Amino acid sequence: MYGFEALSFNIHGGYLEAIVRGHRSGLLTTADYNNLCQCETLDDIKMHLSATEYGPYLQNEPSPLHTTTIVEKCTLKLVDDYKHMLCQATEPLSTFLEYITYGHMIDNVVLIVTGTLHERDVQELLEKCHPLGMFDSIATLAVAQNMRELYRLVLVDTPLAPYFSECITSEDLDDMNIEIMRNTLYKAYLEDFYRFCQKLGGATAEIMSDLLAFEADRRAVNITINSIGTELTRDDRRKLYSNFGLFYPYGHEELAVCEDIDQVRAVMEKYPPYQSIFAKLSYGESQMLDKAFYEEEVKRHCLAFEQQFHYAVFFAYMRLREQEIRNLMWISECVAQNQKSRVHDSVVFIF
Amino acid sequence: MEEDRRKDDEDNKLALQFMDSLHNYLSLTHSLSSTLRQGWLELASAKHSMGTSRVNTSVLDLKSHSASTTLKITENDDGTQPQFTLQKWVSSEHESTKLEDKNEHPQDSDTKSSATEATLTKNLTGLADNDEVRKERDKSLSVFGVLISPKLRATQLSFEKALETLIDIANMRSSVLNSFTQLHKEVEDTKE
Repeated sequence: MYGFEALSFNIHGGYLEAIVRGHRSGLLTTADYNNLCQCETLDDIKMHLSATEYGPYLQNEPSPLHTTTIVEKCTLKLVDDYKHMLCQATEPLSTFLEYITYGHMIDNVVLIVTGTLHERDVQELLEKCHPLGMFDSIATLAVAQNMRELYRLVLVDTPLAPYFSECITSEDLDDMNIEIMRNTLYKAYLEDFYRFCQKLGGATAEIMSDLLAFEADRRAVNITINSIGTELTRDDRRKLYSNFGLFYPYGHEELAVCEDIDQVRAVMEKYPPYQSIFAKLSYGESQMLDKAFYEEEVKRHCLAFEQQFHYAVFFAYMRLREQEIRNLMWISECVAQNQKSRVHDSVVFIF
Repeated sequence: MEEDRRKDDEDNKLALQFMDSLHNYLSLTHSLSSTLRQGWLELASAKHSMGTSRVNTSVLDLKSHSASTTLKITENDDGTQPQFTLQKWVSSEHESTKLEDKNEHPQDSDTKSSATEATLTKNLTGLADNDEVRKERDKSLSVFGVLISPKLRATQLSFEKALETLIDIANMRSSVLNSFTQLHKEVEDTKE
């Protein structure tokens, strides 16, 4: 029952909540980012990161460094933190932690299928997969010719199996079908995660509802903007929106018929929580929309740590760490391309 | 006397043509550098927005397919000044209707730089409005997925502009070398 978590949460979740709050305090601060933004080379970035929790992961990397190496090694830090928490967790926290990785699993499945369609080598594709989304039979995805085979041969034994019910067809896989499959799977995953959190109840349900609703709404806006000018019909676009969130159902009806960014803005401005996002952008501009969304997301995830005895801190930590890795990727690219004046275009400070 | 004056005028004209071509060549290389910088940053921005699993070299298509853009080289009769022409967004379905030919005809030096700029602007504007060209562009980008960020589309336009600038540079270089050869020949003739 909500309000009584303080009595029993620490029995099974106390240790891991302490661990994740410790990890949170290791996130990079504004001072760290200011130092990183002044670096002249990628080796300078490595030197600054050696004093942070990423130090052990980068110390053995030889020069010259590449931006992809920095991102890969920093991702390993996230993976190690996650695996430590997962192996210490009991139910239902262990299931909750597994849910966090299903998005990466979907991305990996789509990467393998797309790469195979383009006659790429499977080993090369496996190296590009996100480590949090790996599962045992992932390499077997390369033999499937359509979604029915994809499901029957490989995915039936994975956690993604329940999400396939809406997209099993015998049509051959092509770019459009793969894109629809990606978004349909992600929609089903988000809705399933939402239902799971609702079942957990208490503070977890309350905080995760807000975070997942924001995720669903952001997805809806991105799908709308990215599908403008493409062959995706309005009905197909509408089917990719999740069945929850602030925009559900009336906002989705309006987003489905938008033909440009200004119409999307007009829809979003009707919802007070999203007015501040578009207030930062000028009319017709969509370049800074991603940064505005990331800033709002970071704000919400930081607020999750203000309350105790719930699982949303684990989700928030993973997302904040991913944002940090995105920041490091952007800073590395700007330094590598000698465009430091553009660093602040996409860096989102967490603290 | 009249003949000497005419010869001087021709020499001056050649010298001006050479210097004009060289100036345009240097301007174009500077323009290419800034366009490529912009393109690479936009690609990084697209990777940041869509994720590194969606924008990476391992999703590029290795199946055999016809080139979307080809280069045609024509030479004048004496083979001194090759001319480079870009045929953009010509897929196998649309071979009979070339969507765009760039830099087909050599131009006078007096109007070359302004005409080149006008051609570039016209090409980019005209191409942007053409439905067939948009379909070809989308087809090229479909290796990264169908629902892609506007940042990736902006990247494509930047690199497209860079390719056009490269062809302009090649033609300008050809013109510079031709002018230099003629000027050198005149100087040698004068010495004799």
